[in-house]
Amino acid sequence: MVIAVTRLRADYAKGKQEGTHPRGVVRVAARAIGATGLAAFALLAFTPLAAALHGGFSGAALPRADAIVVLGSGVMPEGELTDNSLRRTVHGIRLFRQGLAPRIVLLGPEYNGVVEAEVRARYAADLGVPADALIVEPGGQSTRDEAHRVFARLGRGRAATIILVTGLHHMPRARRVFEREGMVVAAAPVLEESLRPEQPQARLALARAVAQEALARAYYRISGDF
Amino acid sequence: MEAYYLLLLFGVTSAAFYLTATRGLGARRYALRPALFRMLECVGLAIVLGAVNVAVGFLLVLALRRLTGSFVSLYLNTDGTLLVLSLLQAVVLQWWMRDTEGDGDG
Repeated sequence: MVIAVTRLRADYAKGKQEGTHPRGVVRVAARAIGATGLAAFALLAFTPLAAALHGGFSGAALPRADAIVVLGSGVMPEGELTDNSLRRTVHGIRLFRQGLAPRIVLLGPEYNGVVEAEVRARYAADLGVPADALIVEPGGQSTRDEAHRVFARLGRGRAATIILVTGLHHMPRARRVFEREGMVVAAAPVLEESLRPEQPQARLALARAVAQEALARAYYRISGDF
Repeated sequence: MEAYYLLLLFGVTSAAFYLTATRGLGARRYALRPALFRMLECVGLAIVLGAVNVAVGFLLVLALRRLTGSFVSLYLNTDGTLLVLSLLQAVVLQWWMRDTEGDGDG
């Protein structure tokens, strides 16, 4: 790494001395960015840095609430829930079966002709959730949209208390958006990536999830929703 | 453990490639360092082009949402395939710049 930086400095000095074409400047800059990118790749793939960047996971005791709200995550064209959607659905049903709320709101829009919320509702019915406890909401396309729709479904004009079920990475943003909508939120996050990955590919997947959520938070901050 | 295994595999095959290149293909040892720097150049260009692709895609999605009134997911722009496509753009740009050098500034 030290050798690479020394070499880059030498290249830069040489380019400056020769008064090179902008192509030379681009080349030197690209080498510096490339070296930095490869160093970041090595740190993320071969050390526990991605886990350190994420922070941690602590499951707090949940209070009783008006409803359990399970946010959408995806469904396959074949009609099966994606892994993350299934994890969230099962977690929500478990909390319902523990008697933490009288209702469960299942979200998830249509993808390729299959409605995620409806697939989830079939799982819930098969696993013993009574039909009158189920609220199926297929309209939400984004976290913000889901919060609007849940608020409308749970009754405007009063502060509904909810247990929010979504991915661990997504939870801080989702919680803030639902609270801004006027709901009292207890977080019940679902672990969707290991926080102690050993394989480089799993470490990179965790780093990607963290980076993607950071971008989403930045977007929500800019648009005034976070 | 898996990480160390991959690093070991990478080290062993890199050493084998080095021996094959120098002994079997006639590659000069002094040309290895410039080749490594060109690799860094290519990676750097791919990172920059990848960032540009994501930023432009982000703006495109926002424009599509506004123009069509329908929902288009921003996550479309975080597909890993875009990184591979950015790498292809970087390889072409790098070789294009190199081949242009012989023609002067024109």
